[in-house]
Amino acid sequence: MASMMSCRTHIRAYMLPITRYNVSRMLSTSIETPGASTSQTAATPPTPMTDSNPPNTHYKITLRRSAISLGDKIKGTLISLGIHRRFQTVYHRHTPETAGKILRVKELVEVENVPDHLVKTKQQQRQERKATRGYKVVGSKRDTFMHV
Amino acid sequence: MFGAFRPTNVNLSGLLWKTPWKLSVTRKANARSRLKKVDAVIEAVRASGVECSALERALELPKEHEMPARDKYTIFSPHAKGYRKGIHKVPKWTRLTLRTNPKGF
Repeated sequence: MASMMSCRTHIRAYMLPITRYNVSRMLSTSIETPGASTSQTAATPPTPMTDSNPPNTHYKITLRRSAISLGDKIKGTLISLGIHRRFQTVYHRHTPETAGKILRVKELVEVENVPDHLVKTKQQQRQERKATRGYKVVGSKRDTFMHV
Repeated sequence: MFGAFRPTNVNLSGLLWKTPWKLSVTRKANARSRLKKVDAVIEAVRASGVECSALERALELPKEHEMPARDKYTIFSPHAKGYRKGIHKVPKWTRLTLRTNPKGF
């Protein structure tokens, strides 16, 4: 009886069409079926609270819509935020001045609150966009000649 | 005879721009999602804990789910019959905040 029940749930999970609403349910059923035979459920290790929510100190501001033909004041607000083109991302500390600038261009911009360790400079963002080389240079003829 | 720009009287600058009087279902859906995005921006600024007068004014604006459909897709017009016109008739309406209308209209 119990084996039939677990067998039925196992089949049902695989027969579900894979949509984003079903994925979590599929994962939960696939995890539960091997444990269904055992009466005791494994206790999940408690997640540490302090690591999961460091205080958010910066705004991550991304320009999503341009300010073309919205006037020099709105354009000036974007320049003062350091944004020059669409999809450019900029980080600013939480201050009332920055908050006011964001609210002036709230229709154009996407904002996220991030903690200090996730703040990236322009050079760091550029490095992240670069593709990794598919190879690693281990040596060259010049290096062997120069006995490096 | 055909095409987007059709000839008309010379004193109307010779071109005809036809726009429908109301928004289509798609345009309304896009307008709603834009309102939700602006709500998210205001919410992010509020969650940051910073205080400023611009935020106080932004929080007075109604959220997308609090707005009646009338306010999402039409706007006050002093000249039109019924004192309302389609919000898509406002230039740059997709990049402006047009949530409130004069009281009673």
